[in-house]
Amino acid sequence: MKKLVFLLLFLPILSMAQDDDLLSELEQEVPDEPLPVLSVFKGIKIVNFESTKLVGEKQLQFIISHRFGDLSDGIDNFLGLDDATARIQFVYGVTDWLNVGISRSGFNKTYDAAVKYRFLRQTEGKSPVTLVGYHLLTINTDLDSDLFPDLTFSDRVGYANQLLISRKFNDWLSLQLTPTFFHDNTVIEDGQDNSQFALGIGGRFKFTKRLAFIGDYGIHLNRVSNSVFNNSLALGLEIETGGHVFQLHVSNARAIFANGFLGQARGDFGEGNIFLGFNISRAFSLGSKK
Amino acid sequence: MKKLIVFLVFFGCVAQSFGQKYYTKTGTLDFEGSVEAFEPVKASNKTTTAILDVSSGKLAVLGLVKGFRFRNALMEEHFNENYMESDKYPKATFNGIVNGFSITDIDTQKEYTVEGDLTIHGKTKKVTATIVIAKNGDTIDATTNFSVSPEEFDIDIPSVVSEKISDTITITANFNLIKR
Repeated sequence: MKKLVFLLLFLPILSMAQDDDLLSELEQEVPDEPLPVLSVFKGIKIVNFESTKLVGEKQLQFIISHRFGDLSDGIDNFLGLDDATARIQFVYGVTDWLNVGISRSGFNKTYDAAVKYRFLRQTEGKSPVTLVGYHLLTINTDLDSDLFPDLTFSDRVGYANQLLISRKFNDWLSLQLTPTFFHDNTVIEDGQDNSQFALGIGGRFKFTKRLAFIGDYGIHLNRVSNSVFNNSLALGLEIETGGHVFQLHVSNARAIFANGFLGQARGDFGEGNIFLGFNISRAFSLGSKK
Repeated sequence: MKKLIVFLVFFGCVAQSFGQKYYTKTGTLDFEGSVEAFEPVKASNKTTTAILDVSSGKLAVLGLVKGFRFRNALMEEHFNENYMESDKYPKATFNGIVNGFSITDIDTQKEYTVEGDLTIHGKTKKVTATIVIAKNGDTIDATTNFSVSPEEFDIDIPSVVSEKISDTITITANFNLIKR
């Protein structure tokens, strides 16, 4: 018994010894709770496809995209720079997981509106992937009612629904699959089903802190057999400079929205008639975060 | 007699482990590295944990790097990914001592110097700063600020943005510590 009492007398000293390292005491109290994986993609687009990145809450992102003319025309039209088509796009973060956007493309003088929302975020130990939904509504204002007397407004309309599934595998590699259903009320080619299916495959390969290779490929799954159009392919370089993300690339599609580049990519990498292009984005903060 | 000893020992333990430490989970760490005429480079972490042992004056602070909030979400992302590398180094810590600290010396507030190891980005440096400690019933308010340079902690600022980020970063800490 005396021994026990003797031992007990040491208890205060033992507990004092534990006090010695306050920091390790703090570390025990701060649970290593899993935090979402950051920077799966840096741009809200991979190249042509939307990425699982969203614009933050109360942030406005302004994106200007250009696709130039046919590179194979050579110096005659300055590697295509004489013949540019552009898309001007505004995307606003209603919350960190919900974005709305509007844009205007030179391709078919198309206006579009989009909504994008994240419902699962890649988080270590919790979720291996990020899942994002994307819906696009397009209005082709280039269709001429003089040429098509029966034209109604609904003929100008198209839409796309996409599920974006991305995973950042490590510091330098992120990949994304994008199953897509899109519909155009007017299709150019005879026999082409208005309702179309596609699968997008895209990725980002980061090789320095601020430079990455980017690329995406869109496989059309029910294209009419004698179509002049090809699966879209884009390869590029992504450069980050503070508030900007700059993407420089070559692509076989001149349209910069889903229905256009998936359905009507005319260029062919094999024959060299591809298009230089860039996407540049600038983020603005509107109001402070909560 | 035996019971008394047991009681004393027990009481001693309790007294040792309770009542001497002041703690918070909602401390604030602010840093600012803005350059005039450029977009402000500043962020705030409002979930910093800190603990002060009033018997020894020892102070420890721990902030999660991902807990810093910027006004510009893209800046926050760059901060985590390219500067602080928060996946690799998730925590910023301070482990030190308030020199000559004695709780009974403080009427309302008193200025001390605090020194210890500051660990950021996996690099540890000794820092010394002035700390103002105020006592208010069962709570202790501790406020300090000091400057560091990113270079000291091997945080590389690329030349393209170097003119937009100050060479010295001011860190302000405020802890409202509660007795536990």
